[in-house]
Amino acid sequence: MSNLDSKGYAHPEVLVDTAWVAAHLNDPKVCILESNEDILLYDQGHIPGAIKIDWVGDLNDPVVRDYLDRERFEELAASFGISNDTTVVFYGDKNNWWATYALWVFKLFGHQDARIMDGGRAKWIAEGQPVSREIPSYPRGSYQAPERNDAAIRAFRDEVRQHITKVGTALVDVRSPQEYSGERTHMPEYPQEGTLRGGHIPTAVSIPWAKAVQTDSTFKSKAELAELYGSQGITADKDVIAYCRIGERSSHTWFVLTYLLGYPNVRNYDGSWTEWGNSVGLPIEKSYQG
Amino acid sequence: MHGVYTGLDRQSAIERLLDHYQNPRNRGPLDPVDVVVPGGQPDCGDLVTIYLRVSADRTRIDTISFEGQGCTVSQAAASILSEYVQGMPLAEFEQFDQQSMIDLLGRDVVGSRPRCATLAFNTLKTAVIKYRREWPDGMASPNAGTHGND
Repeated sequence: MSNLDSKGYAHPEVLVDTAWVAAHLNDPKVCILESNEDILLYDQGHIPGAIKIDWVGDLNDPVVRDYLDRERFEELAASFGISNDTTVVFYGDKNNWWATYALWVFKLFGHQDARIMDGGRAKWIAEGQPVSREIPSYPRGSYQAPERNDAAIRAFRDEVRQHITKVGTALVDVRSPQEYSGERTHMPEYPQEGTLRGGHIPTAVSIPWAKAVQTDSTFKSKAELAELYGSQGITADKDVIAYCRIGERSSHTWFVLTYLLGYPNVRNYDGSWTEWGNSVGLPIEKSYQG
Repeated sequence: MHGVYTGLDRQSAIERLLDHYQNPRNRGPLDPVDVVVPGGQPDCGDLVTIYLRVSADRTRIDTISFEGQGCTVSQAAASILSEYVQGMPLAEFEQFDQQSMIDLLGRDVVGSRPRCATLAFNTLKTAVIKYRREWPDGMASPNAGTHGND
């Protein structure tokens, strides 16, 4: 039994450990994608054979605040050598924060076999696993994607507005406690970017995203996660929406709730606080009185 | 005006950024100093503090240094900027804009991370503004080398 098996996850098939990746470096049915916040980490050394995927350049629409469309997704996947039946393994910096974001976008297009390497880049490096600075290239894949389906796992502003008035729903703010309380929107003496007001969406509970991981960047066990979220009313019987600042940290929580705890109805509000906190007429709550 | 065309291809720009990240220039506090300004990105953990010392005649950047932590681009940019502006007239730096800073680093490489690329630049801008405010024309010069005032 691997360490992952002992953690009791609802969908353990979405996680692989570093040993699994090390054993599949040359597997033509596996594509390893590194997704980082730090755009130059990959260039300093990456898992041999891994390809860099950039959330800005590859996954975002260059003009509209939205994700890439079907045609661009098909081209992106094919250019990486990914076909519809490829096992895509994501990993990255910051506890896989950006890896789960990339996986979430792949799921908007219904990619079947997308997984996360537990522990991410930090664990791979800490274990002394091999790294390479070579940029790999692969034969083009063959990819036919459906139109992007936002309905199941993505929430929009007006849906959130309805959501907070309903019973049987839950809203989780995964930003830092200081952002949640309204104490912090920016650093002193630095021009603030993106948020007019501090606070949180009414009814949201605060569970910072990184509480789901351990010090070695691997995910906590299902029992620990169930306690973490359940103790604040984020339970499987509810329709759950997670948000942060632009939807990246909350993709991590979406991943945890959906796959590790097996909650059936979880969406990520990627408009998040940069949209809600700036919108005219939308209510907020603010606990910080400073 | 300093030219900002680096003439570097993408890979060379990456190598330069990595070199400055791994071997930062002008890193550490400056003493004496005229202005110290912290800057940062709360959401991604990039922090840069700029130390600015102005020439005795109050017209030029005498020296800047920085301290910080964060992503490769934000820290390498601080190092590259610290070399680039040494001795630059304040008036010239005040004409230097964010787009020029991105070009200095390599638009192909850092263009998708403008906030990281310009963190040190914006912090230095704030430092210069603060210097101008604290030492307006007509006041005695802080005369670098005699004191710190921040």
